[in-house]
Amino acid sequence: MARINDVGGTEGFGAVDITEDPEPFHADWEARVMGLVNALGAKGIFNTNEFRDAIESMPPREYLSTSYYERWFHAVCVLLERKGVLEPGELDEPGELDG
Amino acid sequence: MSGDHSDATIAQRVRRLETLLEEKGVLSGAQLDETIDAYLSGASPANGARVVARAWTDPDYRSRLLADGTAAVRELGFMEGSYQRLRVVENTPGTHNVIVCTLCSCYPLRLLGPSPSWYKSEAYRSRVVREPRAVLAEFGLDLRAGTEITVWDSSAETRYMVLPCRPEGTQGLGEEQLAALVTRNALIGTAAV
Amino acid sequence: MSWNRVSSMNRVSSMAEDRFPPGTRVRTFRHDPPHHTRLPRYARGKRGVVVEPEGPAELADVSALGDGHAPVEQIYAVRFDARDLWGEGDHHVVLDLWESYLEEDRADER
Repeated sequence: MARINDVGGTEGFGAVDITEDPEPFHADWEARVMGLVNALGAKGIFNTNEFRDAIESMPPREYLSTSYYERWFHAVCVLLERKGVLEPGELDEPGELDG
Repeated sequence: MSGDHSDATIAQRVRRLETLLEEKGVLSGAQLDETIDAYLSGASPANGARVVARAWTDPDYRSRLLADGTAAVRELGFMEGSYQRLRVVENTPGTHNVIVCTLCSCYPLRLLGPSPSWYKSEAYRSRVVREPRAVLAEFGLDLRAGTEITVWDSSAETRYMVLPCRPEGTQGLGEEQLAALVTRNALIGTAAV
Repeated sequence: MSWNRVSSMNRVSSMAEDRFPPGTRVRTFRHDPPHHTRLPRYARGKRGVVVEPEGPAELADVSALGDGHAPVEQIYAVRFDARDLWGEGDHHVVLDLWESYLEEDRADER
């Protein structure tokens, strides 16, 4: 089966919206996520192909309804759990530092 | 994860992840800041434009650039320490090149700066390999009939950059003035200079 | 042969830089592999021509498992006619493909 990221030649995505971005990141969290992925990759926690695999393995409906950096954040969380850096569900627990 | 996370919710989750990673001794806030700063400061389309201007003014450099892009851009101090290779593809009056990554979003970041949203969009990725002429027209680039188009789909470790045609009437310009004419989209192949 | 993860991962690679010299006619792997891959669906089972070798790298399909045992293979830039990919069009598409995505397309087998 082909994965949802494999869109070359797929019909129906419409015209290319060529509007320029005012800034490279739409919000500060996007820059933080980009930094997390690059820094954790540089530390050897996961490699580029594992990262791509984690994005591509998203259910198609979810992949298509999330933004670029939301996908990145999803993938980094999946990989950190798989590697045992995060406990399952750890990110969801309300921490005392959240207040 | 779902698509209806508000910006505030996801921002909070990202902050929480940062805190957990710091507590676990995996990644410090300072290391993260450094990574982001390096990303934003080192990567700019001005780098690619400089490479192009050099190639337009120095035929030997142009030959080296087309033969081994990685080595040639390193001469100018770019892509040092990168494991990726760079291939520069040259437009001519009868041929046009355009870059895409249909599977994800591979892009010569260090030479072109952060990639635009449209480059990462499903619309661009799905269509430019199938109907490049129509997509280029949407960017306002109407190629002469008979122009041979090659679409480079960056599927492995090589990154691509387009060497656009030098515009006519620029004989008197120096390297810096020429570099100022080169846009990011011209380096991707969705514009001419 | 049933096509599964194991058979897909065991595709043969020679790691020779000159296995497919520039100009060699090649055909791409036909299957949808049940794992990460860098051969897009639109270019599976298609005929193309080698432009040149791009240098070696770990095979992405195995590297994605993250166990550190990915074989290193030669990557080739391969040029395809739009007509062969889509049945129409006058452009070309070039993809960078690992050696084990490719087999030589010999005239006597066509």
